[in-house]
Amino acid sequence: MSVAEAVSTQAGAVENLTGEAYRDVVRRWLHASLPVGFRSDSAAFAPPPLQQSVAWEASMYRAGLTGITWPQAYGGHGRSLREHLIANQEIGALAMPESVNSIGKELAGPIILAVGTEEQKRRFLPAILDMRNIWCQGFSEPEAGSDLAGLRTRATRNGDGWRINGQKIWTSGAYRAQRCLVLARTGPLEDRHRGLAMFAVPLDAGGVRVRTIRSIDGRESFCEVFFDDVEVAQADAIGAPDEGWAAAIRVLEIERATNRMYRAWRFENELRHLISASKTDPVLTEMVGDRHYAVRLGEVAVEIEVLKAHVETAVEALASGDKIGARGSLAKLYWSESHQRFAALAIELLSQASLPQNPAIRVARRRFEAIYLQARAETIYAGTTEIQLGIIADRILQLSRGK
Amino acid sequence: MTMAGEGLQPDEFAATAARAVTACTGLDVRAQAQNLANDGLLGIVANEEVGGLALPLGFAVPVIAAAHSGLLEFPLLETVLVGRLLQSSLPRLAAAVVSGEKLVTIAWQGEAVAEQLGGAMVLSGTVARAPCAAKVDYVLVRMMAGAAALIPTDAEGVVAEEAAGLDLTVPEHVMRLQKVEIPAGSILPVNTWDVLSSDANVLRAAAILGSAEACLALAQEHASTRRQFGHALSYNQAIRHALARQKLGLESIRHAITRSLSEGGGLVQRDAAFLAAATYGSSISEGALQIHGGMGFTWDVPVHRHLRRIRTLQAQGDASGLIGAFGRRYISEVAPFAEAEA
Repeated sequence: MSVAEAVSTQAGAVENLTGEAYRDVVRRWLHASLPVGFRSDSAAFAPPPLQQSVAWEASMYRAGLTGITWPQAYGGHGRSLREHLIANQEIGALAMPESVNSIGKELAGPIILAVGTEEQKRRFLPAILDMRNIWCQGFSEPEAGSDLAGLRTRATRNGDGWRINGQKIWTSGAYRAQRCLVLARTGPLEDRHRGLAMFAVPLDAGGVRVRTIRSIDGRESFCEVFFDDVEVAQADAIGAPDEGWAAAIRVLEIERATNRMYRAWRFENELRHLISASKTDPVLTEMVGDRHYAVRLGEVAVEIEVLKAHVETAVEALASGDKIGARGSLAKLYWSESHQRFAALAIELLSQASLPQNPAIRVARRRFEAIYLQARAETIYAGTTEIQLGIIADRILQLSRGK
Repeated sequence: MTMAGEGLQPDEFAATAARAVTACTGLDVRAQAQNLANDGLLGIVANEEVGGLALPLGFAVPVIAAAHSGLLEFPLLETVLVGRLLQSSLPRLAAAVVSGEKLVTIAWQGEAVAEQLGGAMVLSGTVARAPCAAKVDYVLVRMMAGAAALIPTDAEGVVAEEAAGLDLTVPEHVMRLQKVEIPAGSILPVNTWDVLSSDANVLRAAAILGSAEACLALAQEHASTRRQFGHALSYNQAIRHALARQKLGLESIRHAITRSLSEGGGLVQRDAAFLAAATYGSSISEGALQIHGGMGFTWDVPVHRHLRRIRTLQAQGDASGLIGAFGRRYISEVAPFAEAEA
């Protein structure tokens, strides 16, 4: 099947293909369709404006590359997790921008599929996939970062609906989102994990205020979100009121185990870019030919192989019907720390390039300096390193805390 | 992993191997060979014509892991590989290896130099890192271009010397070869060594997995039962997090081995499995020792025996040389940057 056919028949293009034939169509579609200006390994790269990102991601959906495993009844493509992995391997192999709606596709969507009502699934899920609705995640608060059980945002009954008051922080992409997946307390603070509920709050509702926060990479991507007497309909409550914490745990397990499944292959793309750029510079060519950097780059390559093994094992487990549970913490801990080590090595190497810098080195420096700064957040978001270690100790090793 | 048509699972061999390893405790090397052969473990990957089970390499993984978890004092990894290696060229000897009648090992370091003298092939040189070489009948050595030769240890000109080494229960030997005459049929073809090394890397990773698993279990047990400052050690976050990191390393080894044996697994994945095992296995065993505190420094706590084994396996597979080669190979396969086409 040609790429043109794949594109023209859109979602139906690849529905009968599996395995390597499916991979081949995915690869050809991506290579033919991804604008060169979206590629961070190109001199033409410029961070795409929101509208262009939305259009690109909508085209990926129409080509069958998002919502891969979601049921067709809700706009998905009804494919297997193994095919989801294949598509992600190909997505990772290109220096493509991160999704502006990963929260919708990888957190809100899966949790709505798990505990949402039929009406919610039909209302929310297709709009996530075709990019009409961008979502953000309202979990963390000023007084409840890692310790979500301590969150204070309150949801109180308001006739048939709810009224929400409180503040969320570190809410990535709230300024561009239409919906926020809000975790709020319906009982007293002392109840900790009990009495937490989840809501799909429309961000254009009265009483919602969003303020951007500038982060270490100079971007204003995450936000504070304030809720002052925000009225939310019962139809926007996700799951039963006391299911909030269980739903949050499920969301976080999904997030740790499967989100951005393409990471290992993206890291490989980054490693290949680092080496290929280095080979355009006489000083760096000599350095990467030296045993010292061969060993260090080899260590990065080994870590990428191990990360692939973590991902593929998780996919096989899930595809075989296993629950991933706490094991998602192993992969999250592994990728976040190994990517930080790699990013630090990349900027160390590139900083030694000869002068004047050639265009390939300038492109690589721009990309890896951004990656280095963004990677500092990777051991913080989706549960800090310390939280992951605690989960592994508590739930996998089941270490005694007894006195 | 399931054998097509067989319904066998590799993990089913782990329990058999664990029982066999326990039964070997206190026996000499030849008696151990008989025990292991009777359970079919020496020929697990050798073909049926020489008495083997003809199973894929993945079935040897839980066997080797169980052997190292139980601190088996026998060159099982070498025996399993040589039995299969000889099945085509020296089938009678392969059958003797698989049945436990003849004992073999491999000198993992160094290379013998061959010269033709009259009608005979004569080998000279020094090879090393040959586990149990003083107690076996044959040693496989590397030759130029990745060929290999099987040498009887009692042949004239073969001298096995004890070598300094960390593993005291499966000691390594240095073999000095002084014009050792061997039949031409004992020379195995060019590239034999590359295939052998690649398989050995998977099994070394399995061996390290077995030892690392035992270390983590010992550390976890100690942390849960040893009390200091009024609490079990595992009450302390520093200890909990250290053990959690060991668990991450352990699962990384396990997954890397699985991937190396999967459909897409090749040389890169096999090398990566061994390199990951060498790195994480060392840190798990050293970390387990640390968690045992002063007790870890005593002879009686077996963590040090695993640590010795892991470091020995790391050296036998030349992990530090391999990571350099791995990196160089990776770098050489990447072309200089060229702008993507619009």
